[in-house]
Amino acid sequence: MITALKIKNLTKSFGSLDVIKGISLTANQGDVICIIGSSGSGKSTLLRCINLLETPDSGDVWVNEELISMTKNKAGDPCPADYKQVDRIRTKLAMVFQDFNLWTHMTVLQNVIESPIHVQKISKQNAIDRGYDLLKKVGINEKAEQYPSSLSGGQQQRVAIARALAVNPDILLFDEPTSSLDPELVGEVLRVMKSLAKEGRTMIVVTHEMGFAKEVASKVVFLHEGLIEEQGEAKEVFNSPKSERLKQFLASNLEG
Amino acid sequence: MEFIHLLSLGDQGWGDEMLRATMVTIMVSISAMCIGLFVSIFGTIAKLSKNRLIRAIGNTYTTVVRGIPELLVIYLLYFGFNNAVMSIANSLFGYNQYIELPVFLIAALAVGIISGAYSTEVIRGAFLVVPRGQIEAAKSVGMNKFLVFYRVLIPQVLRYALPGLGNVWQLTLKDTALIMVTGLVEIMRQAHIASGSTYSPFTFYMSAAILYLVLTTASSMALNSAENWANKGVKREKA
Ligand SMILES: Nc1ncnc2c1ncn2[C@@H]1O[C@H](COP(=O)(O)OP(=O)(O)OP(=O)(O)O)[C@@H](O)[C@H]1O
Ligand SMILES: [Mg+2]
Repeated sequence: MITALKIKNLTKSFGSLDVIKGISLTANQGDVICIIGSSGSGKSTLLRCINLLETPDSGDVWVNEELISMTKNKAGDPCPADYKQVDRIRTKLAMVFQDFNLWTHMTVLQNVIESPIHVQKISKQNAIDRGYDLLKKVGINEKAEQYPSSLSGGQQQRVAIARALAVNPDILLFDEPTSSLDPELVGEVLRVMKSLAKEGRTMIVVTHEMGFAKEVASKVVFLHEGLIEEQGEAKEVFNSPKSERLKQFLASNLEG
Repeated sequence: MEFIHLLSLGDQGWGDEMLRATMVTIMVSISAMCIGLFVSIFGTIAKLSKNRLIRAIGNTYTTVVRGIPELLVIYLLYFGFNNAVMSIANSLFGYNQYIELPVFLIAALAVGIISGAYSTEVIRGAFLVVPRGQIEAAKSVGMNKFLVFYRVLIPQVLRYALPGLGNVWQLTLKDTALIMVTGLVEIMRQAHIASGSTYSPFTFYMSAAILYLVLTTASSMALNSAENWANKGVKREKA
């Protein structure tokens, strides 16, 4: 079995602020890795470095054992060596964002079929058929012709998940997918994510939903100030945390 | 019923001349708007450029043109063009007679350059309000720079820019009145000529006003339907 995702010694700073200070992480196919940690610990930055929405300062990322090759630009800053490779690998790593980020000028269905048609050059009819299937899967097919602005947050996030699934990714990246939602809408999105986990999808999920992490994570990673402070199976991490910081974090995040 | 006579068509009245002048106004306005939009593509690229020098050029353009009276811009461009062409003709061919430039072209260029400065501001603003997250979402499903630009940015920039560009159009239309100084016979110039030869200035300036109103009203109606079309999918802001 090939390794879905491997990260080695990743670092990233913004100006003088070191945000990621050397992180290594491996995800096997079917792993659901939940990344937890307090605000500002670098969770989003780590996720965004994986699909190069941020360019790491150093370190390597392999997707399906293919190394994303980096080089330096004229100014000496790191940059991708081959943007075509980056575009191709990004379809293997579709991302779901905290704020959904649906394209507001397109209908729900158009959002879902956009990349399959224009990036992956799938025939329009094929893309539409698959698009409807995916919308049905996230329970929103009856809204296919509507525009995102007429949907609730939970519905928009489910469309965003369908859009991510539409490129047939090997890994799904989630950055706090329920944090912008009203509490009563969180459940419908978590249900979809759980069903994806059950299907054996490889998922990297940054989340504050400890219940979700407990239930579906094959591995939980606790980030603190840009480093992995502790990691392990969900049971271990939640029931017998070793580091003081993790204990504190869990104490303040587990009530309720 | 004097004015009916004055505005009648044919040899006696000035109606046909006024209509012809209206066509000229429309043609100059459309040409100027197109020139302005063309210029604003470069203006926007310059103002959003990472290169400081290019950005400075873009900023200078919009600041200067919007910062001095439009009539003065037209004078400067008109005599500037004239001088430039004449000195080129002189130095290259030793030709030193006065050269009559194609007034329509100069007028459209002059108003176009003014119009372009305002369009640049509108389009630049529209670029900045497209949520960054939508661009990241596009990248995250593998879209390259071209697709991000063409499929996600442009449609939304147009939508956000449309009301502002509508204002620029109205402004451009009215600015064409200033080019009467170049001798091009558009509505304003025609009204001026007619009132001079009939001693009924009020009648002709009033008809000029009505003609401009008809043009601006028709264009804002067209613009409204364009906006409705472009705003599919956008929640109406609560008034
Ligand atoms: N583009 C950027 N430019 C400058 N600083 C940034 C940028 N992105 C993130 N940071 C900083 O990096 C640090 C880590 O940010 P990050 O968003 O990765 O944290 P996070 O763990 O996801 O937090 P949260 O739980 O609030 O989402 C923060 O101090 C943030 O201010
Ligand atoms: Mg974050």
